[in-house]
Amino acid sequence: MTLDVVFLFLQQGVASGLVIGSVYALLALAIVVIFKTSDVPNFSQGEMVMAAGYIALYLLVFRSMPLWIVMPATILAAYAGAALFRRLVLNQVARANGSPVNLVIATLGLSYVLRGFVRQTGFGDTPRSFPPVVEPQSIMIGQAAVTTLDLVILATAVVVMAAFFWMFKYTKIGRAMRAVGMNPKAAQLVGVDLTRIHMIVWGLSGGISAIAALLISPKVLMTADMGSIVTLGFAAAIVGGFTSLPGAVVGGFLIGIIENLVGLFISSRAIVLAPFVAIMLVLVIRPQGLFGGRVEIKKV
Amino acid sequence: MSDKTATVIPASDTERPRLAAPEKMPVTQIALLAFVAAALVVLPFVVTGYVLYIANLLLVFIVLCLGLHLVIGETGQFALAHAAFYGIGIYSSGLAGNAFGWPFPLSMLLAGVVAGAVGVVIGTVALRMRDIYLALATFAFGEAMQWVFLNWDQVTGGPNGLRISPARLGDLEILTDRQAYPVVVFVTLLMIALTIVISRSRVGRSFRAVRESDVAAMAMGIPVRRAKITAFGLSAFYAGVAGSMFATFSTYIHPDSLGFQTTILALTMVVVGGLGSITGAVGGAIVFGLISEFLRQTPSYQEIIYGLILIVFMMYAPRGLFAFIRDQMGRITRG
Repeated sequence: MTLDVVFLFLQQGVASGLVIGSVYALLALAIVVIFKTSDVPNFSQGEMVMAAGYIALYLLVFRSMPLWIVMPATILAAYAGAALFRRLVLNQVARANGSPVNLVIATLGLSYVLRGFVRQTGFGDTPRSFPPVVEPQSIMIGQAAVTTLDLVILATAVVVMAAFFWMFKYTKIGRAMRAVGMNPKAAQLVGVDLTRIHMIVWGLSGGISAIAALLISPKVLMTADMGSIVTLGFAAAIVGGFTSLPGAVVGGFLIGIIENLVGLFISSRAIVLAPFVAIMLVLVIRPQGLFGGRVEIKKV
Repeated sequence: MSDKTATVIPASDTERPRLAAPEKMPVTQIALLAFVAAALVVLPFVVTGYVLYIANLLLVFIVLCLGLHLVIGETGQFALAHAAFYGIGIYSSGLAGNAFGWPFPLSMLLAGVVAGAVGVVIGTVALRMRDIYLALATFAFGEAMQWVFLNWDQVTGGPNGLRISPARLGDLEILTDRQAYPVVVFVTLLMIALTIVISRSRVGRSFRAVRESDVAAMAMGIPVRRAKITAFGLSAFYAGVAGSMFATFSTYIHPDSLGFQTTILALTMVVVGGLGSITGAVGGAIVFGLISEFLRQTPSYQEIIYGLILIVFMMYAPRGLFAFIRDQMGRITRG
């Protein structure tokens, strides 16, 4: 491998990695925001993405609605679905037995239900392709080839992330979310409505998942199992420390780039393994993740 | 802070779920055990080979669930790599039989020991982390192992799967589910007995102390780290043995069945039965194993019903099926 090729591969790997990484970053953000406020790793995040993707596909292809209706409708549906799940199911689970394990298992349950439902409708039987939001045209950046679709994906993801960070940092709701993340009881004492905040957090997480679905669906074949893409969002979240929102974003881009570089330099078969090796490495060397705070020792 | 202390020594039985504490056996329970024993003996004479295959599979799941019970139910460590250890067990006992013609009791032991050893190594690394990180690290390990099973063609046969030659002991060859059944039953009973012994020993008590509060356990002089690694290694050992039990009556293994789904299936069984009790683990494996078998023909319904069961249980019977039944019975008898 000559130096030229190495350089070309590096550019291509980083460019493609940033594009796919931006989607991973969104997914990681959706996972981390829930984990931060309720200590629950949401194992149904992938199926939320998948379900949102199929809602969009259904409206767009089978109901032939225009894109400018389909997109907000999908995001709203995902927002409402996730918020309702939190309100109707998880609230009851938390009341019945507050341990996080039970909440986690309830989210696993949701993932099964969503997957089974999509299979039941018959949409999931054959892999389907989602029409691209913009016509993909090839563009060269340096020596790396990307498409206009790639640029739209990256730009949208960055805008969504920026908006989310602004909301989280500067609005009243965002402050309430941070308060709940720090200490739910204290937040309640100062008048934060826990149920409402949890609903909004889940709704936002669902909405972000829907955006990720709209961005990624044109690039992959849609099946009922496409939710497994969230594994990479989890990987990104772990690398970033699992409780850090900026960490989730950096982790997403890192995983995207690592994945592409491994594919180019080592072997396409090793791509699948790359994120898991990354997780293990990060956890062994720096168990709290790149951006995670110090591991607290709980008092009795 | 104060509610943490309360969990170490349960204030009253009505508040805390009664978890796996040694209990005295009432007459009804002895009668139930006798009935189960009779059913196990009679079963091979009255049912078809297919039903026996299902029975064998359920017994394998019982052992898998017992392992998960030790690490999650007893020690409270959320480990998610059970399918990987199960796979290691299947492949190592299968290969010992295929390549060297080892007798099956020996390859069973090998499977358990290999899986257990890998478990100790992984546990030593992964247990540096707490709670959620442990779950994620073991999840990553599980996924990586499935990749290894799929891609290490020379050893595992890769995506073509691996043919497992019949289990043998001297001249005896196990060719049918009917022949395998007594072996599988025997090993299952052995593992249940082992679980009870562990659970009532000093080791078991240290597991539960770690579950309730590792800081309090540490203060009492329990080597917390060693207890966690022991629990993790033991659960891997159980999974390995379960794998080799599967290999005695199965002729073929494919990596597809060794992924996260299988871990989740076992976890579901333990939770539906009731986290923290041996009865729960065994009963959950049987009940949920039967449900999933009945629904096998309609995969989409199977998934929906699985999911609904999990959700409904978490909402209304978080301590599992058996605790729920006991509570309801108690309510009825009390009037």
